[in-house]
Amino acid sequence: MEKRGRGGKLPANQPAQQPPSTPRKERRPSMFEKEAYAQILRERLRESFHDVQYVEPPFDDSIADLGKEWKSALAKLKFANSYRMEPLKKFQAHSVETKVQQILKESLEDVKYDDKVFSHLSLELADRILLAVKEFGYHRYKFIIKVLFIQKTGQAINIASRWIWDVAWDSWVAAKHETEAYVALALVFALYCE
Amino acid sequence: MEEYHRHCDEVGFNADEAHNIIKECIDGVLGGEDYNQNNINQWTASIVEQSLAHLVKLGKAYKYIVTCAVVQRSAYGFHTASSCFWDTTSDGTCTVRWENRTMNCIVNVFAIAIVL
Repeated sequence: MEKRGRGGKLPANQPAQQPPSTPRKERRPSMFEKEAYAQILRERLRESFHDVQYVEPPFDDSIADLGKEWKSALAKLKFANSYRMEPLKKFQAHSVETKVQQILKESLEDVKYDDKVFSHLSLELADRILLAVKEFGYHRYKFIIKVLFIQKTGQAINIASRWIWDVAWDSWVAAKHETEAYVALALVFALYCE
Repeated sequence: MEEYHRHCDEVGFNADEAHNIIKECIDGVLGGEDYNQNNINQWTASIVEQSLAHLVKLGKAYKYIVTCAVVQRSAYGFHTASSCFWDTTSDGTCTVRWENRTMNCIVNVFAIAIVL
């Protein structure tokens, strides 16, 4: 079969009685063979005048990889834009502070310092304060609660915190409950999740 | 609409890296020092500020909170607990305990992801 390249033209006088004698056409190779694709493409593009420079065989492993990447990207949750630049309700430090102070006072009233009791009391208090802060209903805020118990035995303690956050909506609250034997300190950090 | 793709594919907070950074900071500030009432404020401040600066240099899209407690070493009881409400896949925390002959130091780092 004649293959026409670019710029090929039909000869002006082609005798009619001469049908294009086709040699016995080779059996078209199977689509699933790698090199066959190029040839098939060339056959299909026979009538058009362009060069088939290089045809990338599609039956490669790279195609399978593309599919996997696409699927895993879809699996990650994508949220529609809400166009909200700020929280609906800004974190009010003073109301949270009174609430946390109240919780500390209630749960630590007349509680004597005891090693075993305090180790799980601290966890319990942290969870309780977290629930109370969640009840305030600040949307899209992440909370970190830290509870510290320090026994008063005449030693000095120094606690410092620094942070990098968005000063506009992120804030913190500290509440202290002091008795004769120990000091209880609760820190609440509220960060807006952009 | 184009999406911003982060150049690194690491998911979640790398606690080991943070651990190393903070340990180096504490060693630098408190290493070989004894408890001193006059300097303690300065030391806690510098530990926290240096750790924060190094964490930010990692270049990841995170908000950081660093807490440091330095206590004079004696017979005392100390309990600390923390409870967090966040996204467990992307946010994380790291605690480093350091001590020498005269002091105990506990540094806590919380990292909250910023979703770009």
